[in-house]
Amino acid sequence: MQNLRRFILKYHFIILFILLEVISILLLANSQRFHRNRMVNTTNDVVGKVYEWSSEVGNYFRLNSANKQLAEENAMLRQQLSVVYDTTTCTYDIIKGDTLYKYIPAQVVNNSTNQVNNYIIINKGAKDGIERDMSVISTDGIVGVVTDVSRHYASIMSLLHSKSVVGVRFKNNQEIAGLKWQTNNYRYGMVEDIPTHIVLQKGDTIVTSSHSNIFPEDLMVGTVEEFYPTAVDALNKAKIRYATDFSTLRHVYVIKDLHKPELDSLKARLQ
Amino acid sequence: MNKTVLQIIRFVVLVLLQVLVINHIRLGGYVHPYIYLIFIMLLPFSTPKWQFLVLGFALGLSVDLFTGTPGLHAGATTLMAFSRPSIIKLISGNQKFENITEPNISQLGGLWFFRYALFLVLIHHFALFFLESFSFRLIGQVLLRILLSVPVSIFLIMMIMYIFKSEKKRE
Repeated sequence: MQNLRRFILKYHFIILFILLEVISILLLANSQRFHRNRMVNTTNDVVGKVYEWSSEVGNYFRLNSANKQLAEENAMLRQQLSVVYDTTTCTYDIIKGDTLYKYIPAQVVNNSTNQVNNYIIINKGAKDGIERDMSVISTDGIVGVVTDVSRHYASIMSLLHSKSVVGVRFKNNQEIAGLKWQTNNYRYGMVEDIPTHIVLQKGDTIVTSSHSNIFPEDLMVGTVEEFYPTAVDALNKAKIRYATDFSTLRHVYVIKDLHKPELDSLKARLQ
Repeated sequence: MNKTVLQIIRFVVLVLLQVLVINHIRLGGYVHPYIYLIFIMLLPFSTPKWQFLVLGFALGLSVDLFTGTPGLHAGATTLMAFSRPSIIKLISGNQKFENITEPNISQLGGLWFFRYALFLVLIHHFALFFLESFSFRLIGQVLLRILLSVPVSIFLIMMIMYIFKSEKKRE
């Protein structure tokens, strides 16, 4: 016992160092394994608050462009509505019983694009009905998946994440593939599993596929920037330009799939 | 001012500066400077060794809370804090630090501090970027990140040190 005490006293520096490093690596391994940043919810709230204060300052400088973007989106939605019914006279009940999705608007309070694993924090949380695994989109295209929720905030795993894989479909030939991020440029992603008989052109649109468990079908993802046909490999590659500009992201919508509980319970029964 | 209060203020200011300002600097996809390390660099010589580790861990974890990467910065900063005594021994040999309470530019010189910062930033960035990719698969990218980020970090750290140098003398 005496010897043990002397040993610990003598080597306390090294022992403490190893202990702290082991804790760090365990924390890190844990967060990597679950592909999500599980944080204690109270800390998340504190962090969210600090980010919110800081983004409020920035928001004043971006009011103009934010207004413009929202007005454009309004105009587009109005136009889409007018196809369905006459907006000026009709008092049509939009939320019908069989509505599939509910859109929750939120503001980005923190966002990064230059890490290997990027996360976005928004100012809506459990209080507003946000839950884990909901999908998040912007006006232009898909953004990511909710990975953690605190009372007032939620964190989103951005498409710009080394573990991010999205089931996508090429709009003109219905072919399904998986979109990944290359961890170095926030504008581009990569599709690496295109069958050889498929030839793509620059500008071809890709959307989310129905095989994606997270995103609703047919949401805009991006366009083909460059197509790399390979002679030897069985699969072709294509560089995809994201429709969403992650560097200027301000307003997003969290999508609540109203049929998800029903679908999940059906799937559970199959197993 | 009370020394402990000064350290706490330094801690909070550096973490906030890092997560609210520096982390949003975009210089291509590969340059990620980190300046919060200044806190560990400036701890007094008389600090007990174990406190370096605990403070390094706490500092890293605070940054981790904001970036959503638990353990990443904590691991890298603990390693850096661990190597600080050896680095000081390495670059100053048997030089004694009488009348000097903490590493600084005004008493030890710009070159001394530059070498000191260079070693510590290298250790921190190597650990950080390898832990971040969590594999050796992307080794080329990781090395490029280190190669491009270290000079920017050093530049920012030296700049901050020179800006606050004159205030030190007045105290």
